[in-house]
Amino acid sequence: MSGALTERDFVQKLERAGFVEIEVLERTPMGIDDCALYPLFTEELLAIMRDLIPRDRLNRIAVCAIIRARRG
Amino acid sequence: MSRDLLHQDEIRALVREAYRSVDGESRAVAEKLYSREELDGVPAIALEHALGVGNHLRYARINLGDTVLDLGCGSGIESILASRRTGPSGRVIALDFLPEMLERTAQAAREAGLDNIETLDGEMEAIPLPDDSVDCLISNGVVNLSPRKARVLAECARVLRRDGELCVADLTVEDEELPPEVLTHPAAWAG
Repeated sequence: MSGALTERDFVQKLERAGFVEIEVLERTPMGIDDCALYPLFTEELLAIMRDLIPRDRLNRIAVCAIIRARRG
Repeated sequence: MSRDLLHQDEIRALVREAYRSVDGESRAVAEKLYSREELDGVPAIALEHALGVGNHLRYARINLGDTVLDLGCGSGIESILASRRTGPSGRVIALDFLPEMLERTAQAAREAGLDNIETLDGEMEAIPLPDDSVDCLISNGVVNLSPRKARVLAECARVLRRDGELCVADLTVEDEELPPEVLTHPAAWAG
């Protein structure tokens, strides 16, 4: 998730690439418990996240956006 | 910005190594994203290594006979699901930069009895397909892994036919950045 863009930046890059009718169809928060489902998140990283990310943000560390766009 | 924390080559190497050496199964991810009906008949090898972040196929407009590109196919779960929708007259091109992932997808396709899934070795920043050759492009949790996202999206536009559609699930973040100790952790570039 270190490389994740903001939704605004993602949409802008789609526009610049020539996409039109860009729709964000779904937004699903991804919290620490969701991250723990993925073997890519090591125990060490999960522990750092639990220690350093404010408690009120642990249930919304990132957002899964589903985006559809048409090539113009 | 987080994307400036490491050089592009370092990011690529971290992502490649993390996905190559991923240890542990992730069937729970597949079961969280997809319904039991959707997963019915999907081979275990695809389910047990699912690493996507959303169910974008719910929104992807895939028609019979379409050519679909699955960008960063991983273990192949979405390629399998898309293949059912293109039918035998269509095809799914499953692209990944790791031979291990391509082999999993190929095995899953064989076990599912689908012969319209073709694996393709390549990077999303330089998709090895001709211009205007794809009707629908799908991708699940992959674009965020690239240090050159503008390039990736330009490549997506190049290979899509005019009026073709991209439908992706991907991680986004809010304006407030995560702590630097998290952002610079090697596993956070792949996870």
